[in-house]
Amino acid sequence: MYSQPILEIKDLVKIYGKGTKTKLAVDHISLTIPHGSFFGLLGPNGAGKSTLIHCITGIAEPTGGQILVDGTDVVKEYKLARTKVGLSPQEFNVDIFSTAEELMDFMGGYYGIGSEERKSRIDELIKRFGLEEHRKVPFQKLSGGLKRRTMLGRALIHTPKLLILDEPTAGVDIKQRHDLWSYLQEINSLGTTIILTSHYLEEVQHLCNEIAIINHGKIIAGGTKEEFTKNGKSLEQAYLEITKESETEQK
Amino acid sequence: MEHNNTQNQLDSKHTNWIGLFTMFRREVKRTFRVAIQTLVAPVISATLYIFIFGMVIGSQITEVSGVPYITFVFPGILMLAVINSSFASASSALYFMRFTRGIEEILITPFSYLEMLIGFVGSAITRAVIVAFLILGVGFAFGAISLTHPILFTLYIAGIASIFAMLGILVALWAESFEQLQVLNTFVITPLTYLGGIFYSINFLPDLAKNLTELNPFFYFTDAVRSSMIGISEANSLIGTILIVSLIIALGLLVTTLFKKGWKIRA
Repeated sequence: MYSQPILEIKDLVKIYGKGTKTKLAVDHISLTIPHGSFFGLLGPNGAGKSTLIHCITGIAEPTGGQILVDGTDVVKEYKLARTKVGLSPQEFNVDIFSTAEELMDFMGGYYGIGSEERKSRIDELIKRFGLEEHRKVPFQKLSGGLKRRTMLGRALIHTPKLLILDEPTAGVDIKQRHDLWSYLQEINSLGTTIILTSHYLEEVQHLCNEIAIINHGKIIAGGTKEEFTKNGKSLEQAYLEITKESETEQK
Repeated sequence: MEHNNTQNQLDSKHTNWIGLFTMFRREVKRTFRVAIQTLVAPVISATLYIFIFGMVIGSQITEVSGVPYITFVFPGILMLAVINSSFASASSALYFMRFTRGIEEILITPFSYLEMLIGFVGSAITRAVIVAFLILGVGFAFGAISLTHPILFTLYIAGIASIFAMLGILVALWAESFEQLQVLNTFVITPLTYLGGIFYSINFLPDLAKNLTELNPFFYFTDAVRSSMIGISEANSLIGTILIVSLIIALGLLVTTLFKKGWKIRA
């Protein structure tokens, strides 16, 4: 049993800019995700999902509030907190001239993993994601699907307790998408907590057991998948209804 | 799934040595990936300088400060290459990472802000040292080498490389285009380096120019390297050493503070 949740967000605020040119991107969000959850984070473009992820991972610094990853404060104990989180970002933020193998190797090194352990982990991930033939190919020459798989491998190199996936299957064909789903379900069943953001709502409905919808920097709905899909509704229908209502209230 | 506990040692009390070594290793790979630009070009430039100023012009000059002209100019030529390599390495690496958002790799991994500074500066020094060794090889070939104080030489080279690596980081943070990346190099570093007594003795200059040269920090950098290589000094060595150490501390504090604030690198 775990004494604390894998992720605890308390009254998080993130404001971009200074003076008169400011933008409130996250507006007093509180959220708790237990260990082992497969959590879907949904919302329209610009709703605040990426900012929330950036605050958890260290790419952005919160303006107010607190984020604890497995009980570790991401600002005060940022080094330790970062060892517990893996991120597969929406954008390919890599050195495009490096190979898939090098990208995993460098990332593993940054996380402080020794060379032997790193090598064995890279071999495992390369095999798992079907990258054997492409391990020495520069990232820029890989197809969209292979790039996504490389990004996932890179995010998993240090076997994080919390894996954050921002649009992990964008540009991936249907067969590969199903393969990735199987793998994600497998590592989730083995204890890795996953936060997934995706515009493919059938993907979220298939994988996630808990869901939150964010809009205008606030969580506007949250609950189990069953709560969202009760009365025979699809997640997509529920999502559209909730976000429409939120837009109306905002006006 | 068995979660990895190796990196759980990486809290605020433990240094991320493997991470730092990875940053150096990555820069070495990058250096060799574009070897024509990073290694061959500075060696060709240095060889031309040595040939033209050392052999052609030098053959018409008997001695400067009691040594052959080629021996007098070689330390400055080597320092020029070290300055250019360390500045280019740090500025291009960080600017490219900002441009591609590759900097997020560093931001999400367990590096303290001081470790980020050491990683970027150490990587730039690594490239500058590789270039320095290659140019020393050219110097050997031309018989221009003399190393009176090897330890001092190494310290001065590392110190000067770290100063220009940190200036490179500042420019990479500030620049919003590839053109801006060249501004400091074009308008400050290159002119001050050439006017810092690389190719001539300060004693050749009229009094006003001599006094102005003594206000040029690059004069002290050149003199420090030269004195450690050939044992001849035209400047006050104490001022030079204090200047180098002060600049390292001041720039180190500034860069670490900017990293901590996340200026231009955080979302």
